[in-house]
Amino acid sequence: MEKNKRLWTIFITMAKIGLFTFGGGWSIIAQVQSEFVEKRGWMTDEQIVDFMSLAKSFPGIMIINMSVFSGYAMAGIPGAVVSAFGLSLPALAAIAVVTYFYSALRDNVYVAKVLAGVRSVVIPIIISACVKMWDTAVKWKSSWIILAVSFLICALTGFSKLLLVIIALMAGLLIWRGRIEDDLS
Amino acid sequence: MIYLRLFLSFMKIGFCSFGGMTMIPVINDEVLRYGWMTPSEVLDIVAVAEMTPGSLGINCATFVGLRTAGILGAAFASLGVMMPSLTLSLLAAHFIMHMKGNKYLESAMRGVRPASLGMLVAAGVTLSLSTFWPEGLLSWNTLSFGTLFGGVSWNLVLIAVISGVILLKFKLSIPKTILIAAVLGLVLA
Repeated sequence: MEKNKRLWTIFITMAKIGLFTFGGGWSIIAQVQSEFVEKRGWMTDEQIVDFMSLAKSFPGIMIINMSVFSGYAMAGIPGAVVSAFGLSLPALAAIAVVTYFYSALRDNVYVAKVLAGVRSVVIPIIISACVKMWDTAVKWKSSWIILAVSFLICALTGFSKLLLVIIALMAGLLIWRGRIEDDLS
Repeated sequence: MIYLRLFLSFMKIGFCSFGGMTMIPVINDEVLRYGWMTPSEVLDIVAVAEMTPGSLGINCATFVGLRTAGILGAAFASLGVMMPSLTLSLLAAHFIMHMKGNKYLESAMRGVRPASLGMLVAAGVTLSLSTFWPEGLLSWNTLSFGTLFGGVSWNLVLIAVISGVILLKFKLSIPKTILIAAVLGLVLA
């Protein structure tokens, strides 16, 4: 019973997140963090950061990948499935409506204005996610180097995210080599 | 069997792309091949995806599915495009959760975490440029200071700053902040 209740909450919350995910999908990070880490404590900041780059680098749709990772962490396979379907439900409904009124919406100046507003707010949402994730992601001197290299590669080149994650994985293995108790940089 | 074909086509689109705009060439190939859409409709769907929440992939699958085989078609196409997440990501999630506490996994993840953040910061910077300063590169080429910032959409910067303060300082929830930004867009954009 308790478990079904949790699944239902995951489904509804993911649907809500799906309804407010505009502009390339990165805003899902901040939303999952606030709903499931801050509000409910069902996930940790560390998990969000861990899943984020995997979700982006895996094939398929980043936000659906992110919902699967998060759902699994909270409630196993059923959690992952309800999470993915919950997230995509609003998109399905919205697209049906928008498709129907498409020609009217396309040329409507007010729609364009609202969309410009929504596009602009995605940036502070991403910034808020960066601020919240910072202490979890950057703990050692070497983290700064990886952060800078990753930023430059992503901002300036179209380098594969999957390869970037693999390189970062190997860098982590080489730096710490399983000695995670030592606080060496 | 149109449902199966929609499912398989969109599964292929899912596995062959990494989300967002990288999906467009693959989507193009598949939907043009079966005559599900015309090239100009593919451009329309990108615009529709901008107007609706969620990802381009799901939106496109829904649009094509709805067009060719109604609601059930939309469901099958969407399920298809979700398949990589429901298989590969699920396996990876399983693996990570079951190796929790493993010191080698933790070592590796310590390398991945700052890389994740770097990706997010880069996404923020790239998105800022394309939103606030769409002609950035163009005016950069002319290299005259007067015109350099001429193309900046200051009204959008203002919306971002106001909603940023609302979000970070006043701790309003993200959905509420988005609604406020939509209203600000009506007034300022």
